[in-house]
Amino acid sequence: MSDTAALPPPPMPPPLDPAFVAAPSVVVSNVSVWFGQMVVLSELSCSFGAGVTGLLGPNGAGKTTLMRAMTGLLPTNQGQVTIEGRLPRADREVHRRVALVPEDEAVPAGLTPRQLCTYVADLHHIDERSVVDWALQMVDMVPVADRRMDGFSKGMRQRAKVAAALVKNPLVLILDEPLNGADPLQRRRLIDLFRRLGDEGRTIIVSSHVLHEVESMADRVIVLVRGRLAAAGGHRAIRDAMDGVPRQILVRADAGRRLAVALLADDLVAGITIEGDDLMISTTSARDFAFLLPQVAKTHGVGLREVRPLDDSLESLFQELLR
Amino acid sequence: MTDTPVRTRPQPPLLAIIRYTLLAAAGNRRGRWMAVAAIGSVLFGLLATALNGGAGPALANVARPGLFALVLPITCLVIGDAILGSELRSGAFTFTWLSPVAPWQITLGRWCSGSLIAGATLGPAFALAAIVAGVPDQAGALALAGVTGATAYIAVFMAIGCITRRAAAWSLGFVFLTERLVGSSLSAVAQWSPSWEADAVFVGLTHDVADHARSGIPQGWGAVVRLGLITIVALVVATRGLRSLRIVGASD
Repeated sequence: MSDTAALPPPPMPPPLDPAFVAAPSVVVSNVSVWFGQMVVLSELSCSFGAGVTGLLGPNGAGKTTLMRAMTGLLPTNQGQVTIEGRLPRADREVHRRVALVPEDEAVPAGLTPRQLCTYVADLHHIDERSVVDWALQMVDMVPVADRRMDGFSKGMRQRAKVAAALVKNPLVLILDEPLNGADPLQRRRLIDLFRRLGDEGRTIIVSSHVLHEVESMADRVIVLVRGRLAAAGGHRAIRDAMDGVPRQILVRADAGRRLAVALLADDLVAGITIEGDDLMISTTSARDFAFLLPQVAKTHGVGLREVRPLDDSLESLFQELLR
Repeated sequence: MTDTPVRTRPQPPLLAIIRYTLLAAAGNRRGRWMAVAAIGSVLFGLLATALNGGAGPALANVARPGLFALVLPITCLVIGDAILGSELRSGAFTFTWLSPVAPWQITLGRWCSGSLIAGATLGPAFALAAIVAGVPDQAGALALAGVTGATAYIAVFMAIGCITRRAAAWSLGFVFLTERLVGSSLSAVAQWSPSWEADAVFVGLTHDVADHARSGIPQGWGAVVRLGLITIVALVVATRGLRSLRIVGASD
C-alpha cells in the first residue's frame, strides 16, 4: 500500500444547512425586526442565490417584512442583510441591481405603465430606451402601456410593477405575492418568466402563502412562521414534511353523509364535521388521506366535487413545521 | 429585447422626479381641493369689500385669519399629502426609494413639484383676491406672500411626514396649536411660522397697512428671506428623516 493510500481520508465538508446556499447573493444574518412590542422577525438567518427561491408562510409570518429589510426599506433592529456584500440600507448603489415588486396594490394612479417604466429608467440613468418596451412586452402590457393605471385590475397593476422592476435589469428580483389577482393565463406566463429569469443566473425571491404556487416556480423553499425559520430546502422535502402532519380538509361530495360514515371507519380520519354537503375532515396525515379518499369514494359510489385544505388548517400546518 | 436599441439621453433624476410627482399628484384627484382653495381665496377677497376702513386695511384684516391662517396651510397640507404622504402610505414610494438617487434629490424634487402646484394654485388665486377686494396694486404682494408661504409650508409638512408616523395629525397640530395658539402670543415662535411670515411678507410690502405689522418678526423682504431659511431647514430635516424612514407600505 502506498504512503498516500495510508493517509486518512480528507474530512467530509459539513453538509450545508438547507437555509443557506453555496454562492449567495443575498445573506440574511441573525436578523430581528420588531414594531413596538411586536417581534416580526426573530433571529432569522438564511441566504439566497441564483435561481428561484420561494418564501412560504401564512399571513403575518414576516415575509413582507423580510423582503423590505432585504431591500433596505426597513432597518433591522438586530443583525444585517447584505446584497453582493453591500448593505442595502446604507449603500444606495445596491439599488441599481435590486428590484422589489411590493404586494401593495397601489401604483401611481396618474401614470401609464410606460411612464412608470420610463421613470424607473430615468432614475437609474438607463439610456437604452428599448428596455422599457422590452419590460412591457415581458409582462404582456404593450397593448395597455399608454393607458392610465387608475382603472387597472389588481393583476394588471401587479404586472405593471413587474415591468417597472425588470427595467433595471436586476440581479436580485424580490417579488411579494406577485401572482395575486392574476388570471390563470397570466399566472402561467409570470411563472414562466420568473423561472426563465432564475435560469439566467439571477436571484429571484418570490413570496406566497400557497404551497402549490411556490412549487410551480421555485426549486428551493424557505418557510417562515411567526418571524422564524420553520423549514428550508427543496419543495419536495417541504411537501413531505407538510403531508405528515395533521390537517383539516374540506370535501364536497354528492352523498356527503354516506362518505363520512365510510371514512370514519379508517384510523386516518380523526373526526368529521358535517355542514350541509360540506365535510370538514380532520386527518392525521394529508398524504395518506389523499390516497384513501378517492378509494373510499369509488367503493361507495360517491362523486367528489371539491377537495381542498382549509386555510386555518394551513396556518396550523405551518405551526406544526415550527415544532 | 428589440433588435435595434433606441438610445436617448435619460432625463436627469431631479427632473424625472419632478415630472413623475406632478403626474402622480394629478392622478390623485385633488383638483377639487385646489379649486376650493382658489374659490375660497377669492371669496375672502370679496369679504374684504364688506369691511369699513379702506380697501387695503380691510384686505389685510381678512388676509391674516382667512388666507394665511386657513387657506394657505390647508391647501399646502393637501398638496404635501399628494406629493409624498399618500405614496408613503400606499407603498408607491418604493419606486422612487429603490433607486441610486440621493435622498436630497428625492426631497428636492418632491418639494419643487409641490411648490409648482401651490404656486400655480395660490399665486393667481391670491392675486385675484386682492383685485376683487379693490386693491389691485396689492395683488403682487399678496401673491408673493402666498407663494413663498406655500413653499415653506410644503417643506415643513414634508419634514413632518418624514419624521412622524401620523403626519396629518402632527401637521394640523403644528398649524393650529404651535402657529395659531402659541405663535399668536410668542413672537419667537411666530418668526419661524410660515403663516405669520407669509402675512409679514404681505404687510411689509404694502405701504398703507403698516400698522398691521406684527412687531418682533421680520417684515417684507426680510420675511421672504426668513421663509427661505425655514424652507432650507425643513428640507434638511426632511432629507435626514427620509434616510431613517421605515417604509412599511399599505399591507403592513
